[in-house]
Amino acid sequence: MLHAKIIDIKKDKIITSKAEEFIKSSTYGASIIFTGTVRNLNDGKEVTGMTYDSHDELVLKSFEEIYKEAGDKLKIIDKAVFIEHIKGYVELGETSIIIATACKHRDLAYVLSRYIIEEIKKRSPIWKKEHYKNEESEWLKGIPINTN
Amino acid sequence: MKIKLELYGASRDFSNKDYLEFYIKEKIEIKDFRKKIIDYLKINFKGNNNFRKIVEASAFCSEDNNIVNNNYKISKDQKIGIIPPIGGG
Repeated sequence: MLHAKIIDIKKDKIITSKAEEFIKSSTYGASIIFTGTVRNLNDGKEVTGMTYDSHDELVLKSFEEIYKEAGDKLKIIDKAVFIEHIKGYVELGETSIIIATACKHRDLAYVLSRYIIEEIKKRSPIWKKEHYKNEESEWLKGIPINTN
Repeated sequence: MKIKLELYGASRDFSNKDYLEFYIKEKIEIKDFRKKIIDYLKINFKGNNNFRKIVEASAFCSEDNNIVNNNYKISKDQKIGIIPPIGGG
């Protein structure tokens, strides 16, 4: 089972209890909740917030592909996965992504959680613009997407 | 034909709108459309080198939400998304 959603910060926010409820509704015994938050320093610059941009359709498609691949490549068939990613401006310390995973055993839950976040970083069209204390801002350099 | 280039990430700095519009006489492959975008940026941003690098490193996305390669042909009015290097999460 998969829940995947882009959260537009103007209308909604990421709520950890929703992920907990989703995971509890599965019958698996081992679960992990990973959250990513906006950090205060990057490359020595004081960060005050972050704007996230996304190509929503492609991002959701990538989440579904990653979920499916976890079954095909990692052979993690029995699983529950909850992924939400923010879109828009978030302040320091706010949650930008949540990935909750549940499997039959803890080793698989850890592998699955790590696999999902690493694949999102490589494949999901999401961009970050950092805002600094001196009121400047900058799009962060990313990884070119694979077109083959 | 009219190609509406939808802007994402760093490419949003190319315009105050969410898109750019290009009027192209004949069908065009992505690799040549990429050159058209670079030409546009040269004219409108006085050869901003960072903008050129963004376009060179970008992928493109078709109207039906598929990443397309350099040989993909645009032959009718449509939306194309520019996908600069990514870094979310």
